[in-house]
Amino acid sequence: MTASSDTASFGLSTETVLVTRRRKRLVSAIVTTVLLALVVWSVDVTVVKDTDWERIGSVGNVLEATNRFIGIDVDLFPTLLGPAIETLLIACLGTFLGVIICIPAAWFGAMNITPFKPITYPLARLMMTLSRSVHEIVWALFFVAVMGLGAMPGVFAIAVRSVGFIAKMSAEAIEDIDHGPVEAIRAVGGGPFQVFFYAVLPQVLPQIIGVVIFEWEINIRRSAILGLVGAGGLGLVFFRQMNTFNYHGVTTVILAILIIILLGEAISHAIRRRMI
Amino acid sequence: MTPRDMSIATAAEAPREWRRFRYPHSLVSYGSWLIAFTVIVYSIEYLEIPLDRVLGMFGRMGEILANRYYPVDIDYIMDVDYIGSVVETIQMAYLGALFGLLITVPLAWFAAYNMTPSRLFVYPGARFLSMSCRAVHETIWTILFVSILGFGMLPGVLALTLFSAGFAAKLFAEEIEAIDMGPVEAMWATGANLFQVMVFGVFPQVRVAFTGIGIYTWDVAFRAATVVGFFGAGGMGWYLKRNVMQIETERVAAIILSIIVLVLISELISAWARNVVMKMK
Amino acid sequence: MAVLQVSDLYARYSAKGPDILKGISFDVEGDDFFAIIGPSGAGKSTLIRCINRLVTPTSGRIVFDGQEMTALSGKDLRRARRDIGMIFQEFNLINRMSVMDNVLSGRLGYTGNLRTLFRAFPRDDIDHALRLLDRVGLSDHVDKRADELSGGQRQRVGIARALMQNPKLMLLDEPTSALDPKISREIMGLVKTMAQELNVPCLCNIHDVKLAMEFCNKIIGLQDGVTMFSGPTEQMNEATLDEIYAMEVL
Repeated sequence: MTASSDTASFGLSTETVLVTRRRKRLVSAIVTTVLLALVVWSVDVTVVKDTDWERIGSVGNVLEATNRFIGIDVDLFPTLLGPAIETLLIACLGTFLGVIICIPAAWFGAMNITPFKPITYPLARLMMTLSRSVHEIVWALFFVAVMGLGAMPGVFAIAVRSVGFIAKMSAEAIEDIDHGPVEAIRAVGGGPFQVFFYAVLPQVLPQIIGVVIFEWEINIRRSAILGLVGAGGLGLVFFRQMNTFNYHGVTTVILAILIIILLGEAISHAIRRRMI
Repeated sequence: MTPRDMSIATAAEAPREWRRFRYPHSLVSYGSWLIAFTVIVYSIEYLEIPLDRVLGMFGRMGEILANRYYPVDIDYIMDVDYIGSVVETIQMAYLGALFGLLITVPLAWFAAYNMTPSRLFVYPGARFLSMSCRAVHETIWTILFVSILGFGMLPGVLALTLFSAGFAAKLFAEEIEAIDMGPVEAMWATGANLFQVMVFGVFPQVRVAFTGIGIYTWDVAFRAATVVGFFGAGGMGWYLKRNVMQIETERVAAIILSIIVLVLISELISAWARNVVMKMK
Repeated sequence: MAVLQVSDLYARYSAKGPDILKGISFDVEGDDFFAIIGPSGAGKSTLIRCINRLVTPTSGRIVFDGQEMTALSGKDLRRARRDIGMIFQEFNLINRMSVMDNVLSGRLGYTGNLRTLFRAFPRDDIDHALRLLDRVGLSDHVDKRADELSGGQRQRVGIARALMQNPKLMLLDEPTSALDPKISREIMGLVKTMAQELNVPCLCNIHDVKLAMEFCNKIIGLQDGVTMFSGPTEQMNEATLDEIYAMEVL
């Protein structure tokens, strides 16, 4: 760096360039080797040693096992409507509850409006991380243990799981606002409440609504599987079909899940287009 | 309170009526509030959520946490077997993310509207593929692969592969769609074919972003990997399943704690790695 | 009596940072259009923001309307700010709200929390806002969103918002720097007319010396936080100007 700015000695700077280039190449070679070694080791442990190759048998057997899933169980259709609606509504209610929990989380977690930085800011960050780091299945297990089977633990699992992402994005949006309107509202004599509702919220609301709709879409996907651990919706039907070895039924449930996800995507697309 | 300035009052005509909501606009505004409210009330009704019990629930929740989950069984997660399963989980996530990313590169190319070989056939196909990978939850992939291939980490790796592909393909494609088309045009002008254009015109522009997304994918895949074992695909999730079934709540608490700590660490590592990559740019 | 008396004002941004203002004193009388000129970084913006306490000065006195501004805080400060209108360089409008809502936001100091939440302003305020919008020439744009307007139109909304407060003093922070010369002159003209009509003194922080000479009756020249010139516009001459802007040449 220092040598290359020295115009008096071209030879030296060329040398430095070559050295840095060689060093860069060396670093990338080492990184690649380590990554490749990790691949080999991982494949050896997870795939080669851990797999029961005899159970899998030949390629033909695998194809046969896959083939069982091809087909649709038409008889299942009428029984799917209820759970499908349930799945969709768990996602809606879970997102709604998540947004409510997000309000304090985003408020505390935005550096520029957090009420008491040394305590509230880390608290909010902890809430966000906790929510994001635990998988929805684990949350659902926990809430099922506390509340019993049914849709309610599903709603809570979805809500708690959504907090992290929505609150993080909202807090970031709040941190990125243009400070001008805040100044303007303070200059007309507005208090903190007026500043929030007139200067902060209008700036971040479209972004937050976008994030919430995005999260709702993901939540449909999540609520479709929470039934696997006893939290209602299509997951429960899926679990039953799997346990009774009704493979065509399994495919049917997956198709139903795909359909409601497509529906959700279409709705969110429509809302987002309107918003702009 | 009243306007002090009579000059303005006299200068202007009598003020027109002004109302915040006028007919068509107000209908949309009130209507959407009404719809949102109805959906929520109907959901509570349909799902039979006992609102009166919800508040009491929190006391019970605290009680259960304190009584059953509290003395976290740290010894259990310090066990060699368990730590072995943690390593396996990391390996599954690593392989899943890696294979997923390998699939993603062509998939994202085909699913990027500006660079796809054929907008009529390949583009919708690739879009559909990446969407289905994303739409089907990783646990469902796991269950399907376990049912086809039997218990073990292979189905886990495959499920995570599809999960990672679905996750990264969308981001990759968006990245390709956002490139500067100048260099691409320059490449076309030299008479290069599509593959050459990709390698010389597109790839250099998205390389750094791809690396960042790739690291992020690993992070996300690791989170998913912690539970695929729950459905028979090895790793930590399997321990979780066993202890949930045996109602060993203190061990479950320990496992959940270990998951949180590991995810935090992986998040820190991925944030650091992305930072390094961004700087190399 | 002077509406605003500033004496020996010092200000800095951080406890250990350098002083931005180093002992500024001046008085604004009832019918003044007071200009603050000086190169960028001279402390013009800080000075203006000290008056309504968007920036807290380290020492010195600011007496506005018989109150010591530096001693106020919380509710009393907000009450005092209601009487000071402010117009900003970047307009500082709430972009996603309508022109009407932006003008009405000038009354937020008088509006309770519940009314703020539902944006339910009293009838009087709405009538007043409509008259002001007529007056600044925006009666056709009442329901447009603020970000659909051109720069000059936005600054007119800013003027209407400030006048909505029925201010006893107007602060203008570089009201024309974001506008082109022709619009700048129009905006300054509008502010001046309105100020004279409503009998509001103005304190205007301005980069463009020509505009300052044309519209203002008193000028204070700052350089690096120090007063280089203070007096009626007629006393201003080339030599003084050169001195004030000497730093900028370097």
